[in-house]
Parts: sequence; C-alpha cells; structure tokens
Amino acid sequence: MSKIKTCVSLYSLQNEYMTKRMSLEDIFRFMRDNEVDGVEFLPDQMMHGAPKPSEETLQEWDRLCREYGIQPVVADVFLNTNLYKNRTLTRKECVELLVDEIMLAHRLGMKMIRLVSMTPADVLEPLLPYCEKYDMKMALEIHAGLSFDKQKTKEYIAEMKRLNSPYIGIVIDTSIFCERVPRVMENYCRSLGTSQKPIDIVNRMFAEGKDGRDVYGPDGDFIPELKESLSSGADEMYAHFADGYEHEPFEIMDDLMPYIFHIHFKLYEMTKEGEYSIDYKGLLSYLHDRHYDGYVATEYEGTRWTIAGEPMKEKEDVVAHQRYIHKCLKEIEG
Amino acid sequence: MFDNNVFIEGSCRNVEQSGELIGYELGTYITYYRGIPLSMVNDIGVKEDGESVPREAIRCSVDQGEYWFTLDEMETVSSYAHKWEYGEPMTVRVLKKGGLSKGTHQIVLTVNVRTAYIPVPLEGSKERTVEI
Repeated sequence: MSKIKTCVSLYSLQNEYMTKRMSLEDIFRFMRDNEVDGVEFLPDQMMHGAPKPSEETLQEWDRLCREYGIQPVVADVFLNTNLYKNRTLTRKECVELLVDEIMLAHRLGMKMIRLVSMTPADVLEPLLPYCEKYDMKMALEIHAGLSFDKQKTKEYIAEMKRLNSPYIGIVIDTSIFCERVPRVMENYCRSLGTSQKPIDIVNRMFAEGKDGRDVYGPDGDFIPELKESLSSGADEMYAHFADGYEHEPFEIMDDLMPYIFHIHFKLYEMTKEGEYSIDYKGLLSYLHDRHYDGYVATEYEGTRWTIAGEPMKEKEDVVAHQRYIHKCLKEIEG
Repeated sequence: MFDNNVFIEGSCRNVEQSGELIGYELGTYITYYRGIPLSMVNDIGVKEDGESVPREAIRCSVDQGEYWFTLDEMETVSSYAHKWEYGEPMTVRVLKKGGLSKGTHQIVLTVNVRTAYIPVPLEGSKERTVEI
C-alpha cells in the first residue's frame, strides 16, 4: 500500500500573488475550497522579511493555517551563495544562513526544507545538529538542467550517502521526465519571433529519445545542425530554454527511493489527457509500486510561458492537475 | 521569461521636488519569483527615446522612497533590511533636470538579477509608450 499524499506548491500562484489579484489569505481560501490538503511554501516569495519575518507576520501565518485547515508541508529554501558580486559566500556564511531557514521552517510548522539545486554539499554535516534539534529534514532539488549529471549534484548525493542520515535526502522535480518540450514554451517563443526550424529540430531530438541536454555538443556549444538553424535572438532564446527539459526513465530513481523525501509534479499545461509533457499516470504507478511514502506537489510553471496580454491560467490548471492526480491515484490504488 | 514582470503599466511619471522637476520614475517587479537583497541586483538600465540613460543618473528604492541607492551602492546592500520583496515594486528614478518633456516618449526598462542557482543572471525588459 502506497502512502502518496498530494499538496500544491504556492509557487504555482506566483503571478496571482505578485499582481495582488490574490493575497496569501485568498490563496489559502482557494486551497481549502479546492480540497487541497497541504501546501509547499517559498518564504522568500510570499513572506516579507524572510528568513526573519516579524512576529506579526508569523502570527498571521498561524491564523491562516488554523482558519483554513491547511497543513504546511515543506519550505523551499534558497541559498544566496552569490550575495556579493565579487566573491562566493564561505561555508560558514552558508551554514549561518541555512540555520535561519531551518528555524523559520520549524516555526512555520514544517518538517522539511527543500534545498535549492547547486547547494554545496559541505554544508550538510554542520547542519545535521540543527536538523536533529528542530526535527527538520533537508532535501536537495534535482531539477532538469541541474540534475544528476552536474558535479554539484554528484557531490551532494555522495555526501548524502556518506552521512546516511534520516534527515538528508532529495526532492525530485519531474522536469527530468519530460517526453516532449512544453507546447506553451514553444508558443511563447514563437510570439517573440522564434522560427519553426529550431523547434522542429529539438522536437525531433526528443522523438529520437534524446532530450534538452543534447542541444549542446561536447564543446559546450549548440550542436551544428541546431546552430545553423538559429537566425535570430529569438531562435537563440528558444534553444537555450530547450535545455531545461530532460527525459530520464523513471527507473533512474530505483536506487534512490529511500532518499526521495518529496516530489515536485511540474505542470506546464493541462490537456484533456493529462499534463502535456509528463506521464503522471505512469509515474504515480511507479511510485505506488515502490511504496513511495511522501507528498507529490503540483508546481505550475505555465506562468513563465504566458504570452504578454493573455490571461494566466494558473488557478484552473492547478485545480485540473490536482483532480487528475487524485483520479490517477484512485485508479492505481483501487 | 520574466519580461511580464518588468515596468508596471502606468507607473512612469515626472518627479517634482521644491517646485522643480528633478527627473522621472517608474515601477517594476523583480525578474525572479522570490525576493532578494539588493546586492543581488546586477543592473538596472533605462533607455529614453532610444538613448541609454547614464548609469550614474539612476537611483533605486524598494520602500517607496524612504531609502535610495545608486547602482554602485546597491552592490554592497546585502542586509535583509533592504530586501526587494517579491510582489513589491522597486521605484527606479532617473535624475534629469526638467524631467520628461510633454508629449510621447518610448521608455525601455531592463532589470537583471543574480539568482541562487541558475548560472546566468535573469534579465527582463519591457518597452512602453509613455504620455506625459
């Protein structure tokens, strides 16, 4: 019996929040009205003064969680290693910043922080006493473009295995399971002048079993065929965006299952058949069969690809995605 | 990618101080999806009718004008006391005696910030026709 639970990352509603069409309270109400159990939250996004918000802000958070019956699940934590233009933060500075984040997540009622991709591995050991003190898991995000083949990710995974602590794991972002490039991204690029040729080349690469990483050759430059097709800045922009979509088999998670604490269910575009790029029914079956015990969080990213002047579909797509996940789970779990 | 965040519509206006027009200002959201200290803002650029405004003429505030910083000063503003919050506009002021002249102007605003993990900075740009 799997223990797959669902939640929504409030990242999904970032444009509603930024433009003040929805306050944090409106968002909590929206989650309750759509029977969402838990939320993933980016303190840096929707909580002023994070990681050290005012007492008033914290009390307002408590009220919202209580009044709307929402369970805070995970805090998405960033590490500003490039806080300064002329140097990278030291290990000691990084640890100090992350301790603040652990304490804030604890205060917000969470048991897990998501560490942003590229977080240096050497902060893990000095943070462990804080994780134990505050009962806080930490998990590095494995995201397309910054995933298993990157040196920093390899170092993290090696250190995670060496320390072998119940407090250290990973978050899988399903951008690594894209069967095709999101259509909304292509359309966005077309609206800015991207021509059809590079789009066709990338789509053919995916159809042949390659993915966004293959737009680059061993020299780090675009592969010759793609490079020759790029005749404008808009073409170049598309080619760069295309590298953010990977197509790994689900089995890449086989050996890592004990370390997978949380999963971002990326959402680019809902269609009648499900998500446009990612096979969620297949993924949920995989997770069910391997007894995944954790949350899967809808993370809508179509906002990024909304053509200027067109309405954002974040609310309706989030609701449709959650319904779709529940439907799949019902079919799988019986 | 984040172009939609840049240069809030209707935000451009001349600024008057002690009875004189000292320049003009406009508002913009961050080209990112979270708040960051001002030291992570790489650059702010303004083009006025095709001409780039000198870097030294630009001032920025993230608290509706309580504190102003030049672009060079911002590089050292790493305190979270001056965080550019997500969903809160930055006021970009261009110092220019007499402000923008009456009539129509083409103004381009570009915002460029460093993120925590993406190797290249995130930049957004927006051109608007402004009526003074």
